[in-house]
Amino acid sequence: MNVFTKQSISFWNIFPIFIFILFLSPIIIVCSSLIGDYNENWSHLYNYVLFEYIYNSFYLIIGISFFTIIIGTTTAWIITNYDFFGKNIFELILILPLAIPPYILAYTFAGLFDLNGSINNFLRLILPVESNFVLFSNIRNLYGAIIVFSFTLYPYVYLLVRTAFLNQSKSLLESGRTLGLSKFQVFYKLSIPLIRPALIAGLSLVIMESLSDFGAVEHFAIPTFTIGIFRTWYGMYDLHTAMQLSSLLFLFIIIFIFFEKLSRSNNLYTSPNESFQRLKLKKVFGFKAFIPFICCFIPIFIGFILPMIQLINWMINYNLSFFDKKFLQTTFNTISISIVAAFIASFIALLINFSIRIKKTKIIILFNSFLSSGYGLPGLILAIGIVKLFSIIDNIFFNIILTGSILGLIIAYLIKSYALANSTFESGFSRISTLIDDSSKILKSNGWNMLTRIHFPLLKTSFLTSFLLVVTEVVKELPATLILRPFNFETLAVSTYIFASEERMYEAATPAIAIVLVGLIPIIILTNMIKYSKEKMKN
Amino acid sequence: MKFFNNIFLILFFIIIGCGNSTKEINIYTSRHYHSDDGLYSIFTDKTGIKVNVISGKGAALIERIKSEGKKSPADIFFTVDAGNLWKVQSKGYFQTISSNKIKSIVPENLRGPNDEWIAIAKRARVIFYNPKKVSYNEIKNLSYEDLSNPKWKGRIAIRSSNNMYNQSLVASLISNNGIQKTETWAQGFISNFARKPQGNDRSQIIAVANEEADLAIANSYYIGLMLSGSKGSDQLEAAKKVKMHFPNQENRGTHINISGAGILKNAPNSENAIEFLEFLLSEEMQKNIVKNSYEYPILENVDPHLSIKNFGINFKEDRTSVADFGTLNPEAIKLMDRVGWK
Repeated sequence: MNVFTKQSISFWNIFPIFIFILFLSPIIIVCSSLIGDYNENWSHLYNYVLFEYIYNSFYLIIGISFFTIIIGTTTAWIITNYDFFGKNIFELILILPLAIPPYILAYTFAGLFDLNGSINNFLRLILPVESNFVLFSNIRNLYGAIIVFSFTLYPYVYLLVRTAFLNQSKSLLESGRTLGLSKFQVFYKLSIPLIRPALIAGLSLVIMESLSDFGAVEHFAIPTFTIGIFRTWYGMYDLHTAMQLSSLLFLFIIIFIFFEKLSRSNNLYTSPNESFQRLKLKKVFGFKAFIPFICCFIPIFIGFILPMIQLINWMINYNLSFFDKKFLQTTFNTISISIVAAFIASFIALLINFSIRIKKTKIIILFNSFLSSGYGLPGLILAIGIVKLFSIIDNIFFNIILTGSILGLIIAYLIKSYALANSTFESGFSRISTLIDDSSKILKSNGWNMLTRIHFPLLKTSFLTSFLLVVTEVVKELPATLILRPFNFETLAVSTYIFASEERMYEAATPAIAIVLVGLIPIIILTNMIKYSKEKMKN
Repeated sequence: MKFFNNIFLILFFIIIGCGNSTKEINIYTSRHYHSDDGLYSIFTDKTGIKVNVISGKGAALIERIKSEGKKSPADIFFTVDAGNLWKVQSKGYFQTISSNKIKSIVPENLRGPNDEWIAIAKRARVIFYNPKKVSYNEIKNLSYEDLSNPKWKGRIAIRSSNNMYNQSLVASLISNNGIQKTETWAQGFISNFARKPQGNDRSQIIAVANEEADLAIANSYYIGLMLSGSKGSDQLEAAKKVKMHFPNQENRGTHINISGAGILKNAPNSENAIEFLEFLLSEEMQKNIVKNSYEYPILENVDPHLSIKNFGINFKEDRTSVADFGTLNPEAIKLMDRVGWK
């Protein structure tokens, strides 16, 4: 009993609980709608549209999961094991599609592949075909949406899985080879099971992001569950039922996370002696190098190069007088607010995951998994929860006005993007052997000391990965920014949206490209970091 | 240290953001046309009143107004959809606009029931057709109701029912013909679609130009945008191939929707807000709006943009109160769900 009391007043327990209360409140506010009335709109939904929404969302996530796993793990495997022409560049640019928000990719894909889109027009121009020739007849359907999401979201899988591959011990895989496994068998019998936590972490981000998306599916006119939520709110003027629908989506994600945790609760994935002897990269030349090259090139081409060509094409078609004061201010706003939010989010995730590791308080572990699930709520619904939370806080503390302040916006970003930071640290911590903790405890290193001297140095890459992911997320974040921002405060995503919502793609292209460029900055930092740690290892 | 510098920088912005006491007006707008920035800066130049803006989806802005309650800094809610104005009005967030000047300019059917909001500009939801595929006899006297006739099978392009312009159109049909008749009409109408509803209004016009469909329903101002060439030469070429038809000229007139605004009950700067609305209805600004957004003006002595004027200006407008679009919008959505209009 004495031990329990001592534990519960420690910083490592109080801090996470404080954060949980803050972060979970908007979700609880949204879910509290479930207790309220169920009005007559429900019978309408049930009779006519609900099952169609579920059906479409289901097929969407199945398709996207399938493709992101294939693209993400294949590229990560190739990059960590082979040395081929362009490998160093691919390693960096494979995450570029992450910088393009799905709705922008949807707009560009529609621009490229519509009946009179750039690609069909181009083919008509170069091929001896009739003027009504159509190669790509319809991109605006479920399959089109699967392609769009898969090629913009696979970097989540790639990033986390690659980090896991990099940390796989060489000796284990070599033992596999010695014991007679073929190269392919080593891949799926040893490597894949070992990277499963990372794979699942990446995949859940993909699933949550695609479930919560509104812009892309709306542009493709696919009635998904999220479309249903917004149709109910905007069209039937029924926010209450819309929040009930969102809560159901949220419950689905909770159940998903619960089963995922359950299914791997019996396995210990940390390797007892973390070996820094990496697999030696296999050099491939000539025609053989062509296969890994193509495997890495296709995702980047579809997810990044092609849409960028279209965006640049639009931008040039408009005019180049966009570098005005307002544009620079907008860019500055975006960069500074995303850096602040990413730093705080990563720091919080580090502390909470460390707390879980040393204290193993059951309730915190449980809460932590709920926290991440907020990511799967449609952004605007979560934003409504945040607005309601802020109005409660504003009413308690009369002098602080969160709604419409930068502080409120940062808190919203933290709530929205915590899942990204958390999943990075979850897989980061799972790769550090628990034996290290035990040894450091023997050496009387505890708490902050252990975190700063033992874990943080080992988690630098995780910290930067988390930082990068949150920056790209905040740079792209739209719904919460739109509703919570102060007067006259624009971010690049807001500017893009304002033009894109009117389908004025020529004007939208410039801020969209700027989003991509801003997304590149953290990528460059991350790369230097990885290089630096590699060199250090060599010494 | 860099991170902390940035945090201080942001805190600094919060502080200077709070300590502003000049003459100002706060606008919540879902009408985020780029050209509106021009309107705001002319207003500031003329009156010295600073314009603060946040833009977003109408429904989301309404939630923000609601949660801000009495402390809300919002003076004006500005939007492109009568339904949203009705929603704010029905919750009692608007104050009555007392300016006689405004009331004398804006006709009654384009105002709230108790002058809670007013129209700033109008748009018509019209039919665009390809003269190569649709004969004069077919298009002459064509009404929205006629489009459920099986002779149009596979010939009509229109965007998805998620779109508020379509919701307002169906709401106006319900208002005039009743639910039952409108539902039967909608069943026939959707079976005449040339393709699954997709894209925006402009892509419907392009579909007509490219002969994917024979006619399309879209808002009037889109053709102005396309003809201006600012959307690229492809769209200019497409726009030249189509003609505009005003439906229901033989009976109640063509469906009209509005860009409109109202002043909020707790508006801290309501006098400036009235000044702003009067400014928007001035001849100069009506000309400015017409020039940039290709909408129809509210002021009678102002002409629409030439490229819109060329399609005809003396058409008969549907006088159905735009407030009805708001009340009937939920019914319209459900009706479209029932008939399977995606």
